[in-house]
Amino acid sequence: MRAEARQDHQLTRERARAIAGPRGRRVAGAPASLVPNWFSVFPDCPHIGHGIGLRPKYYPAVLEGRRADWFEVISENFMIRGGRPLAVLERVRADTPVVLHGVSLSIGSTDPLELTYLDDLARLIARIEPAWVSDHLCWGSHGRRYAHDLLPLPYTEEAIDHVAGRVREVQDRLGRRILLENVSSYLTYRHSTMPEWAFVAAVAEQADCGILLDVNNVFVSATNHGFRAEDYLAGLPGHRVGQIHLAGHSDHGTYLLDSHDAPVRSEVWDLYRQTVRRFGALPTLVEWDDRLPPIDDVLAEAARARAAEAEVVAEAARESPHARARSA
Amino acid sequence: MPEPALRELQALFWRRLNGMTEPALEAAIVSTPSLGAADRLDIYARMYFWRLRDALAEDFEKTAAALGEDGFADAVRAYLTDHPSGNPSVRHLGSHFADFLAACPPAAAPPWLAELARLEWARVEVFDAPDAVPIRADDMRAIPAADWPGLRLRPTAALEVVESAWPLHTIWRDGGDPPLAPTALRVWREAGAVYHCAMDPLEREALAGLRSGASFGDICDALAHLEPDAAAAEAGSILARWLADGLIVGINQGPDRGADGEP
Repeated sequence: MRAEARQDHQLTRERARAIAGPRGRRVAGAPASLVPNWFSVFPDCPHIGHGIGLRPKYYPAVLEGRRADWFEVISENFMIRGGRPLAVLERVRADTPVVLHGVSLSIGSTDPLELTYLDDLARLIARIEPAWVSDHLCWGSHGRRYAHDLLPLPYTEEAIDHVAGRVREVQDRLGRRILLENVSSYLTYRHSTMPEWAFVAAVAEQADCGILLDVNNVFVSATNHGFRAEDYLAGLPGHRVGQIHLAGHSDHGTYLLDSHDAPVRSEVWDLYRQTVRRFGALPTLVEWDDRLPPIDDVLAEAARARAAEAEVVAEAARESPHARARSA
Repeated sequence: MPEPALRELQALFWRRLNGMTEPALEAAIVSTPSLGAADRLDIYARMYFWRLRDALAEDFEKTAAALGEDGFADAVRAYLTDHPSGNPSVRHLGSHFADFLAACPPAAAPPWLAELARLEWARVEVFDAPDAVPIRADDMRAIPAADWPGLRLRPTAALEVVESAWPLHTIWRDGGDPPLAPTALRVWREAGAVYHCAMDPLEREALAGLRSGASFGDICDALAHLEPDAAAAEAGSILARWLADGLIVGINQGPDRGADGEP
């Protein structure tokens, strides 16, 4: 199964490159030659489509063959010895791309890197052969105790140097580049010396890693801290952005909470369209972790993302002088 | 106030998550008219606690129900103070919970609470124990009868035994307040699902032998001690149950011959 899965994955990559160049899969309805031409992108992430998170509630449906373009799984949930979750994941992986998304790398912690954790992750990578691997730009452990939360870092040169050095160590140990996701946050440190997007960009450049751009987190943090989400998008380097996250959030009156328990809000859909305009079509994942609806509802959100992306790409094609010249 | 270096900042933040007041941390955080620094830190402190409480409530569903919402929250708060998570995976968070409940029983907790928690944790351990392909009855029938006494059967790793002074299987199912009744349960996984059942004294004895690596002949001898007239028949029917439940994953017939269920 392993060899077949690898072959299938390679085929997906080859086909993607043949159709649309290094940017990834062609978007339905758009001329292939137009799709890759906004900016260069993070090349480790071919456009494998619009996926959803694989959660235990959905195991019966996926075992019956229900599929998204790809599935994202929480890495730690599969760093186990055996049992049903691994069996389901291997079954899915046999015919569908899977991305490993960790929550406990704690890349910003000042503890030593947890080498046992990295070795467990490396074993899972070897077993599942994910399309790519991601975690969060945050910290979550102190004194080898884990908060199991995504805690905010100050945006300082000290933190950039610290995190970038650790990312390089992780990437050396795993033998591959990773993506780090911007987290939503509820506080600002007084001693931060730059906006969040400059911090994210600097870490990615200095560490030579990718960015998993969570559009909902940008919206939540923009609201919580009073910055413009457009400035955030404008401040990120396109060649580092490899994947997009979408999710629902909840309004707590004085702040928005990144709750992953509801449909994507209309304002976030608008920001997603802006993101596609800014960075081009990117593999996109709808996260839903709490108060889970039936799998078809989440697949419908992924389909909505696919449609929104196609609309933006088609608009861009219409606006492109190259496209007008071709159609004349 | 000088800016806290990253290490110091995280130390303060960690203590704040765990209920301590940290003025130096609050001073390092921007307050706005709608939300002060302390309120902002409270968001994180609440999420820290709720997330871990929810993780434990999932693994200890029946224990949590027995304590009620507030009682369970209090127990979790005390537990996290003594046993903060030491593993990157939250799956291991509850590994000391049953021992903790035994050592520090919550007020008004039922007397069997810690033992119920032990059963629930055994189910967690079995859920993701290593895989192995079970030996089936046909595989056993292919072995000549003369070889059976020397057979050493290897149990699956997805098997735990929980012993208690209480009928935990009925408490797990119905709750309530049953009388004391010494009980031995086996907990196992089959086709991805976790099960448990009560064992009679013969099966309990036989399973103890199996897990300690005794030969089938030795297990029969131990049963004969308990039930002289029917030991062979009982051993056969116990073995049939184990095979049906997928508990046996390897047969060792001697130093040079063997079958193994490892995938």
